[in-house]
Amino acid sequence: MGNIFTSEDRKRIKEGIAGKYVKVAISPEESFKYPTGRAGLEAQNYDPEILNALSEEVSASYCGVGNPFSLGPLRTGETVLDIGCGAGVDSIIAATMVGPDGRVVGMDLIPEMLERARDNLRKTSLENVTFQEGSAEDLPFPEASFDVVISNGVFNLVPDKEEALKDVIRVLKPGGRFMLADQVLTTSQPADTKSMVESWAG
Amino acid sequence: MIRKAGFTDVEMVSETGFNSSPVTKGVLIRAKTPTTVDSVRRDVSSSDLIGMYDEFFNAAYSEGAIDRKTKHLIALAASLAAGCDS
Repeated sequence: MGNIFTSEDRKRIKEGIAGKYVKVAISPEESFKYPTGRAGLEAQNYDPEILNALSEEVSASYCGVGNPFSLGPLRTGETVLDIGCGAGVDSIIAATMVGPDGRVVGMDLIPEMLERARDNLRKTSLENVTFQEGSAEDLPFPEASFDVVISNGVFNLVPDKEEALKDVIRVLKPGGRFMLADQVLTTSQPADTKSMVESWAG
Repeated sequence: MIRKAGFTDVEMVSETGFNSSPVTKGVLIRAKTPTTVDSVRRDVSSSDLIGMYDEFFNAAYSEGAIDRKTKHLIALAASLAAGCDS
């Protein structure tokens, strides 16, 4: 699908995403049609024990579309990549699950979201999380780097989903797990490229 | 698409109830990357395999401390001793 987009299309898509998520970094509660923050985390049945350990400010920045951890447990000592980590709430939760011997990398396209993620991390005592900038279509990691890749509400925004998925396979170890919460279309895709670009950029 | 990208055990587990627009719905999906054996099976075509076997065969029988002819004779003796003569 990727090659149907021109570089101008891609630029508009990226600008559209950046435009929205710079606002999300400041006030997530006004940007979504579903509950965010603590209410969102509780509605998605995140582990109450882990939620209780999160500061109010950290949980307030949650705006995921589902609970990737409901798809299976993370084991202590595992390495985890969170693609499109946003304000880093899932990364912080993953880091709690894998423990000090595990490692979590949160990656996001938008620097403002990463700033928010680093602020959130400073409100915890975790030392096994790092945040870095990067695109889902070109993951800045060597192959077989992770046991688990999680992602929450991000792949619907990625123009070249198939390339991005192949890159997930590349950075996962053999037998690695991909745990995805996302939005899927319930109707068929817009027929022409122009309206597809508009749906991301608009 | 997830399967097409090369994942195995792809499973759409449930809906999350968080829908960001009237035409999308939140879903939970899990998948695995192939184990090494799976990926060798999938990624290597039969012509590649023949090429890889040739490469191995030629490397094994290359001239070294033991010359090529002696290596073949040893292999022949080993085959006969193992009963591979029928």
